[in-house]
Amino acid sequence: MNSSADSHVRGDCALADRLRARLAPSARASVIVVDVDPTPTPVGDLDDAAIERLWERPMQSVIVALQEAHREGRDRIVVVVPTLGQSGGASYAAQSALAEAARVLVKSAARQWSDRSVNAVVLEPGEWGIDSSVSGPVSIAPRARSGAVDPVPLIEWLSGSGATDVTGQTVVCDGGQWM
Amino acid sequence: MSVDSRLIDRVAVVTGAGQGVGEGIARRLAEAGAVVVIAARRAVTGEPVAESIRATGGRAVCIETDVADTSSIANCVAETTKRFGRLDVMVHNAFNGGIPHRLEDAVIDKHWTSMSRTAAWASLSCARLSEPHLAESSRRGAGGRLILITSPSGVEGSANIPLYSPAKAAQRAIAKSLAREWGPLGVTVNCIAPVAGSPALMTAFDRNPALKSAIEARTPLGRVGDITDDIGSVALFLASDDSSYVTGQTIVCDGGSFLGL
Repeated sequence: MNSSADSHVRGDCALADRLRARLAPSARASVIVVDVDPTPTPVGDLDDAAIERLWERPMQSVIVALQEAHREGRDRIVVVVPTLGQSGGASYAAQSALAEAARVLVKSAARQWSDRSVNAVVLEPGEWGIDSSVSGPVSIAPRARSGAVDPVPLIEWLSGSGATDVTGQTVVCDGGQWM
Repeated sequence: MSVDSRLIDRVAVVTGAGQGVGEGIARRLAEAGAVVVIAARRAVTGEPVAESIRATGGRAVCIETDVADTSSIANCVAETTKRFGRLDVMVHNAFNGGIPHRLEDAVIDKHWTSMSRTAAWASLSCARLSEPHLAESSRRGAGGRLILITSPSGVEGSANIPLYSPAKAAQRAIAKSLAREWGPLGVTVNCIAPVAGSPALMTAFDRNPALKSAIEARTPLGRVGDITDDIGSVALFLASDDSSYVTGQTIVCDGGSFLGL
């Protein structure tokens, strides 16, 4: 996971690159984009090597990224994951495990690091490249709003002083696809 | 044995059944007529459970299984189907880990690897290796059931053991994904998140009597769950035809102390 040059945004995927280009560097905030592989992988293909690649290595990267953010004294941590962890997806068992584990790890961090005044939250943007025709419907209802969704303003708010009392929460920013 | 025959002649594997929640589940499934494989890491704990089930008229065998080792799970599944010709219910309960720590100081090898291997890896491997047998069970009209034992902490997060929560959260997501993936096969996948009087919890109570009072005080039903009557019965429901339209769900079985779903 890219965590040295631009430590305000950690992550190696395209979404991390876009956020890195648009979010202003901040000494307080750290945005961690979890590297969820969008390639459908049926459970029958999940041998040890696949589990290592789709679950273990990216999950360890999330743990280390949180530790680095804490070590750098950042007290506003935003972890970005797909809604896949909450919805599940056919042929995405390992990736959904990663997304949900990262989401709940943030709850643990919020609980434990409250004694250091560290806020940690989860943002779930709609876009991720997950094949919805394979993963199945995210929600039984149609999306509430149409059009592109931009998570940057929400990340900026979650990273700022206006969100001081918001911690351990998951905010879904997808135009109302997953409720 | 009781007269419950909901699982008569069906074959169930229960990992971590040498003690605690796994033992309670194994006993309840056997009472309902299942042939139960006690998949315990050590025969010294698993064989007495199997023997005690046989002594009361049930059918059970112990197969030594280390769920941290994929080849050991494969051997358990292969040995089960070789001996009994089928596998209808796979219950993955075994888990190893849970050392209290500070997240910023956590060391992967010491505080994470064992929990990851026995929760997420083993859940995925149990699923992959049992899939053809559970699908065949469904085709025969016997259901085909995968049940994963997770924890309320996998929903709430934990300030005391922060890395425990993601390991258990992963299992809930795996259940949802496999419920979607295996729905067309007629195989159901569900989780149980129990709080029960396991040996580990009893030891904790012995060391800290105030902990028992604290848990009982926050629990609407005012007591800690019984591994067989409270948790095993929920597993029996999920393993039986009674739950044939339930999949992808987590049943929090904790006397009502967590009401956040």
